[in-house]
Amino acid sequence: MKFKTFDIIPHNTKFDFVGKRHIAVTLSLIANAAVILWAVFHGLNFGVDFAGGTEMEVKFQQAVDPAAIRKGVEDLGFKDASVQTYGADSEHTYLIRVGRVALMSQEDVNRVVQAVEAKFPVQGTPHFNPDVGDKIDFQFQGTPPTPEQLKAAVESTGARVREVREEAGLTAGTRSFAVITQGIQDKIERELSSRFSEAKPDVRRVEYVGPAVGRELRNQGFKAILYAMALIVVYVGLRFDFRFSPGVIIALIHDAIITLGYFAFSGREFNLTSVAVILTVVGYSVNDTVVVYDRIRENAAKFKGKRLGDLVNESINEVLGRTFLTSFATALSLIGLLVYGVGTIFDFSAAMMLGIISGTYSTWFIAAPMTIWLEERAAKKGAPARAEREPARAVR
Amino acid sequence: MERNWYLRVALIVGVLVFSVYQLVPSWFYFRLPPEQRSGEKFEQSVPSWAPSARKHLNLGLDLQGGILLAMGVDVDRAMKAKVARRADEIADFLREKKIPVEASAPTSDGTRIAVKTSDPRKVESIVLDQYGTELSSPSGAPQGTVYFAFKTNVLRDFQAKAVDQAEKTIRNRVDKWGVTEPDIKRKGNNQIQIQLPGFKDPEKAKELLGRTAQLEFKITDDESTALDGVRGQLPACPADQGMIRTPLPDTGCWSVEGVELPGGAARQVTFIAANTRPQLDAAVEKVAKPLLQPGQEIGVGESTVGAGVVKEHFYRTYLLHAKTELTGDYISDARAAMDNSQGAGRPVVVFTMTPEGGRLMEKLTTQNLGRRMATVLDGKVETAPYIQGKISTNGQITLGSNRPYQQMFEEANEIALVLKAGALPAPVTIFEERTVGATLGPELIRKGTTAALIGLMLVVAFMILYYRATGLIADLALVLNALLVLAIMSIIGSTLTLPGIAGFVLTLGMAVDANVLINERIREELRAGRTVRQAVEQGYDKVFWTIVDSHVTTLVAGVVLMQYGSGPVRGFAVTLIIGLVASMFTSIVVTRAFMDFFTRRDTARLSV
Repeated sequence: MKFKTFDIIPHNTKFDFVGKRHIAVTLSLIANAAVILWAVFHGLNFGVDFAGGTEMEVKFQQAVDPAAIRKGVEDLGFKDASVQTYGADSEHTYLIRVGRVALMSQEDVNRVVQAVEAKFPVQGTPHFNPDVGDKIDFQFQGTPPTPEQLKAAVESTGARVREVREEAGLTAGTRSFAVITQGIQDKIERELSSRFSEAKPDVRRVEYVGPAVGRELRNQGFKAILYAMALIVVYVGLRFDFRFSPGVIIALIHDAIITLGYFAFSGREFNLTSVAVILTVVGYSVNDTVVVYDRIRENAAKFKGKRLGDLVNESINEVLGRTFLTSFATALSLIGLLVYGVGTIFDFSAAMMLGIISGTYSTWFIAAPMTIWLEERAAKKGAPARAEREPARAVR
Repeated sequence: MERNWYLRVALIVGVLVFSVYQLVPSWFYFRLPPEQRSGEKFEQSVPSWAPSARKHLNLGLDLQGGILLAMGVDVDRAMKAKVARRADEIADFLREKKIPVEASAPTSDGTRIAVKTSDPRKVESIVLDQYGTELSSPSGAPQGTVYFAFKTNVLRDFQAKAVDQAEKTIRNRVDKWGVTEPDIKRKGNNQIQIQLPGFKDPEKAKELLGRTAQLEFKITDDESTALDGVRGQLPACPADQGMIRTPLPDTGCWSVEGVELPGGAARQVTFIAANTRPQLDAAVEKVAKPLLQPGQEIGVGESTVGAGVVKEHFYRTYLLHAKTELTGDYISDARAAMDNSQGAGRPVVVFTMTPEGGRLMEKLTTQNLGRRMATVLDGKVETAPYIQGKISTNGQITLGSNRPYQQMFEEANEIALVLKAGALPAPVTIFEERTVGATLGPELIRKGTTAALIGLMLVVAFMILYYRATGLIADLALVLNALLVLAIMSIIGSTLTLPGIAGFVLTLGMAVDANVLINERIREELRAGRTVRQAVEQGYDKVFWTIVDSHVTTLVAGVVLMQYGSGPVRGFAVTLIIGLVASMFTSIVVTRAFMDFFTRRDTARLSV
């Protein structure tokens, strides 16, 4: 029977992937080093999820100069404010980010405490939690002030009080008050409303993450990626052969770093969703590698005694079409998100796309050839290459 | 066709029908305008043959607007309070033992208790004798002073309790607002995450949730007949052998309970009950408030009927004397314990008052012997036990019997937690806040669905163009896959977030990967000269494990991500996991059944 198909990738290629591995590895090393150096020296643009701070998405009814917004926010004392356009220009939506979560610095707090201590019988040291930052607890003995008196005393230092709240005392017979000062969100919102009153700013989203939480999320995110990699490597090792593990590890790290590169070089925000992308890339990029390894295993059983290098090359070429097409199909599904996704979702799909491409590339040029490299090194050391004695074992 | 094939087709049709059936409530849910979705309107609109109206797709906070708060317990401050209280207690204890003490106060950093005395050695041994299970005596104290500090395990336990307390308080308050489908859960060691979908005022939420709980003791007014007047205005509660049967009417209803009065008399007291706190509050406002006499007030508490899994909650009123007799400040500690005095062990709550609290309590209990004393936390009556004897510094609350032992013990723990909440305020602060305005959600939903449809169309078109008939089969399987994913999400009640939509799209792209692998293998086998039937058989058999392997690796990443992420990211992980599992079924089993049908004859042709 005659059988004809239309193939994007011809089905009888004889491309020498193994032979080109030196060039490929050099290129990859340069790309990876560039990402790492950039991330270390230039830094990633950590979002509030990881850096801590306050982020507000504000939509205006008409065009507003982002520089004017920044000026407004900076005039309030936030020197590190950043203002970005969010989504299409016609939306007039901006992302305002401030590194701090609290308006009060330790010096401000000390000033307030001194002012209150001068007037009222404060017991012990007033409690201030810098992680939260808008709240100072006072404890009084003897005759405590009324909430109004306390508010007046605090405001005499220039701080704005949102609320004075009575709380149960630390010990029986004493009174305790929590003084809650104005928060960042409140202050910025007021400023924008008065400055751009005709553009009617609408705060659509506020994210606020304390610095301690941010640090924790960052560490956990890093750990999550490592755990996922380790588990995948163990799985592939168990299902195939632990000789394949080094290739998988290197390919995984390669893909994760390249994906990170999207965030490093574009300067887009690196946040929880970014970690999700990297994890998904790590999980997905192995798929192609599994396809190739499966074929290597199949061929190893079929052609006993063949050199591992030729075996690998042949296997990659045989499944070239499908490793390309699977990635292509998945990438296709992301196109809608690239066109219609704003902000985080755009970054999600763009980074995912890059990760998918990198995953396919690393399968062809890194993961499989790396296996041979390690085999050859073992051979040079004098130990007979195992592949020639016993073909990779079939697990099934 | 073989029998086996018919079985597979039956399974596929079954899954299809099941998925569509499960999506019926979601269909009616999204057809309603957003403001009516969480009301009776929705429940009425779902036809009676459909699955429970509760099982519908939920929108995440990022898509429907609302507030997410992570509140942390300010353990540091709660610690200082505990140290300060214990310092007072030690001072009293030493004075009682006639040991000279100049002062017993927290050190300036608030972590230790410094006792100034002329006889440090004696003080150290006698205090450790009394409090040795909790306190240790660190060195480094100046001449004439002894330091005491809490042991690490005590602190750890205390911290956990403080978070329990804060969680309870937060639950109570959210309950009171009547927010639909709030989600309150623990996050890490000391954080409580609260999601309030549709809630619009972050300032109000923060203010109300951030307040420290107030515990008050009030005496119930069981002699008064004031509330009997509600009987004409509300329906009587449905009852089953003298027990209230839920659900109750939405307007609230009245019922009676028998109470004992001082001196041995007894009477039937009227109270109002309702399904939810807001319903009860409304009924109280409308019918009960006008009937009250000066000095009376209505307390609201929660009650249960039934036991074990079928426990139903409802809310009820107590008639109280408005005067606050004592506040939680005067309690120094409380815990659940076993009372073995009457033979068999019985769970009780044991509490200790501060010295001044003890004097007040003694007076209160002497005057009100035989009455009920309500403990009111944050305006909610938690328990109202009878005063059976004089209490001074040490008291005990005995629970009503005739319930399973386990339930009684849980209840004792619960009450101890309430008393402690009064004793040691555990202030909460906001660690994380995410607010999404109401205007953002609809826009994101529109863009998200458009993006998803475009992605889906492209994948579908590619498969048909490239693989022809075989591609069409894969596409049919893909549609079933999408339905199945949404159905599973409705059943487990997971929420659809914006990253979740992205995950959904992505899994559709990954689902056809399996079919690409199968079809490429079939092409390869055909090229090698096999018949169509052999090629299909070989194609499916040889790539089966490859497909399993590639799904498992992505699943591993998904599971790790689910452990790590919260909110929208978790939504992504859940969608990814469900999508991968569903795709293993649709892209292997479903397409295979179709292929077997089309290639049933040896002469069959296949466009692949």
